[in-house]
Amino acid sequence: MKRREFVKGLAVASAAAGTALGQQKAAPQPKSPADTPVVDQGAQATAPNTASAPSANERLQRISQFHTPNIPVSQPDVVATTETRYFTPARYATLVAFSKAVMPGTQGYPGALDAGAPEFLDFLIGSSPAERQAMYNSGLDRLHADSMKECKVPFAQADAKQVDMVIRPHLRPWINDHPPTEPHLLFVNQVHRDIREATLNAPAYAKAAEAAGDRTPGIGLFVSPLDPGIETWVANGAPKGSAPLSKHAHA
Amino acid sequence: MALKKVDVLIIGSGHTGGMAAKILTEKGIAVTMLDAGPMINWERDRTLKPVSTLPYRGFDAPGRLPHVFQSSEFSANQWVDEKTIPYNYPAGQQYNWVRVRSVGGRSPYWGRQSFRLSDYEFKCKDHDGFGENWPIDLKTLAPYYSRVEAIFRVQGAYDKLPQYPDGNFVEDKSPWSGAMQRFLDAGKKMGVPVTKPRSSLGTGGMAASINLLIPDAVATGKLTTIPNSIVRQITVDKSTGKADGAVFIDRHSHREMTIKARVVIVAAGTLETTRLLMISDICNGSGVLGHHLTDQIYGAGIAASVPEARNGKATRTITGGGALIPRFRNLDTKTPGFLRGYAVNVSASNGPVDARWFAEYGPTLDKKLDEYNGSGFTTNIMGETLGHYENRVELNKQVVDAWGMPTLTIKTKYTDNEVNMAKDMVDTTAAMAEAAGFEVLAKNYQFNPPGYSIHEQGTARMNDDPKKGVVNQWNQSHDVKNLYITDASVFPCSGWQNPTITMCALAMRASEYLADQMKKGSV
Repeated sequence: MKRREFVKGLAVASAAAGTALGQQKAAPQPKSPADTPVVDQGAQATAPNTASAPSANERLQRISQFHTPNIPVSQPDVVATTETRYFTPARYATLVAFSKAVMPGTQGYPGALDAGAPEFLDFLIGSSPAERQAMYNSGLDRLHADSMKECKVPFAQADAKQVDMVIRPHLRPWINDHPPTEPHLLFVNQVHRDIREATLNAPAYAKAAEAAGDRTPGIGLFVSPLDPGIETWVANGAPKGSAPLSKHAHA
Repeated sequence: MALKKVDVLIIGSGHTGGMAAKILTEKGIAVTMLDAGPMINWERDRTLKPVSTLPYRGFDAPGRLPHVFQSSEFSANQWVDEKTIPYNYPAGQQYNWVRVRSVGGRSPYWGRQSFRLSDYEFKCKDHDGFGENWPIDLKTLAPYYSRVEAIFRVQGAYDKLPQYPDGNFVEDKSPWSGAMQRFLDAGKKMGVPVTKPRSSLGTGGMAASINLLIPDAVATGKLTTIPNSIVRQITVDKSTGKADGAVFIDRHSHREMTIKARVVIVAAGTLETTRLLMISDICNGSGVLGHHLTDQIYGAGIAASVPEARNGKATRTITGGGALIPRFRNLDTKTPGFLRGYAVNVSASNGPVDARWFAEYGPTLDKKLDEYNGSGFTTNIMGETLGHYENRVELNKQVVDAWGMPTLTIKTKYTDNEVNMAKDMVDTTAAMAEAAGFEVLAKNYQFNPPGYSIHEQGTARMNDDPKKGVVNQWNQSHDVKNLYITDASVFPCSGWQNPTITMCALAMRASEYLADQMKKGSV
């Protein structure tokens, strides 16, 4: 399926979902202005006299029993794309060609391009540690150089046979998060895996699985930030100055 | 409010803190247990989600947990963030310290492989001259192993191998699949035993302190559990030389609290325990506190395919199931190149095979994945590493964590012993797989950095000689008589075994000894 057609398909599905949403029963409105809470939680906590008023307590009780409305949500990829900004145009073109070759898409499922894998990797690598960025950049340069040397065309414009000539010598089987260590072997094999992962885990791929009646790919048990998440509290919590490590530290 | 002196203060609520709480409270002793992390709400805090809905498509935020290879975007929030609680290591000596801070510690997340140590481990020095013996043997610990195995509902078969002691099992009588039987037969010809795996069934899909141990303590009415309590220091009464409590910080507010206790049990997890003892400047009369760090190498192994299971023909009788090769090297004979030994996790899967196993791409790879679906077979090493004196942790006062506590510098590295062990494992299991008629698709001789197995042991080892060890055979500090250490920091050697069942048996034994001493008024 061509990319434009695939995205169009997603848009139709999204619109249908929106219509279904519009048919849902509207949430009940407050009966009167008196039902609108006038005291927020902060005020309740700092103004106990107000909090102890029967009407305020009644309002809190009602708020505490509020249930989450059913509002289906979508992934942004359904309606938007990511602007590429990390890789140079030449490197990005090489990445697109590599992605297209290793994940062309089959049997109603999107390939890497339809799944937005190169755009996603541009975002991911752009925010990655320098070592990972260097691995990508030098690897993409090497693909281009090898293609120029062996086929006399840029990798981005190479045909399937030429691409195979450049990639195949560097493919290796590997296991247990131990890709080959030689730099270019590492690039070819690790980035091949990255492209697969960015494709198979994409919203577009899940949508295609749903359309085909297959099970949703990649279900996992997601752990939420834990009560309330150590990092959050350190970033936003009490300043260290409020808890001196030794007595009379201010003296 | 008046400061109340608690009977026993337990620092840490993982498997050994939980076991100590259970044993002591059931004997009528009041226990207060502190944990540095929150109490997880397991219904609220975990949700089934498709990977396509995660912000990073399963890759997780780049650079977030560079040393936790086990982390995924699904699980990232459960691990300790090393920017919050840093540690470091010398250049070229990577150490993966994998930590959890929440009530129950790492116990909800372990792999549940459940093994006894044998006297090849307990009397390791007698056997090959390296390191120090444990001050106990299998016979001493066997009754406690049996009780722990009953609590954890350990499933296994009875194999009658001295290096793989049998236990109190829910007996595994399942038949071998055809492929596994061939692998077993191939091993027999090569002198390599292949056995059923041993694993804790637990209850409700979990074998953690929070469901198997702590609830029993709660039921006694004698347990007080306080989450979000980061112990900054164990305090000692200078007039008696005994521990008299601890200072801890509330995780949220950084408010400092003082608690007084008759007895202190440290169960914070190997390196956190040692870090706390070092910060408190106690328990190092031997000079070995922080030394002899050890664990196990993971990661080396092979991937193979069972030919008759390909092309949609895989059934449970043809292939599937797990097996374990217990240590077989350096028992009655000497293997050149390395001391000690390794075990191997063996798995045959009826599910999809891994795309990484094939040097292919595009439609050709898709075809391979279809063809080989259901035929996968893997072996993975669990190898003992040597706890050299130089493998150690040191306190780094220049770098403090988010609560102002000095951090650790971890200095450990593997040697040719581990390299040669991994090579032997890969070559041996590849030869067995080929003899069984499998196609070997990939071999990996590389193993993961130290710490990866999450089986860190040592740094406060057990020895009855106060000059050689931090605790005695009862897990009691030589220097501070009312302080006990129950986690794997007391292990003199690691063995190849997952340490959890041994940690729990030791904690049970130590706690019963402590209860007896408290009853006599000796502590």
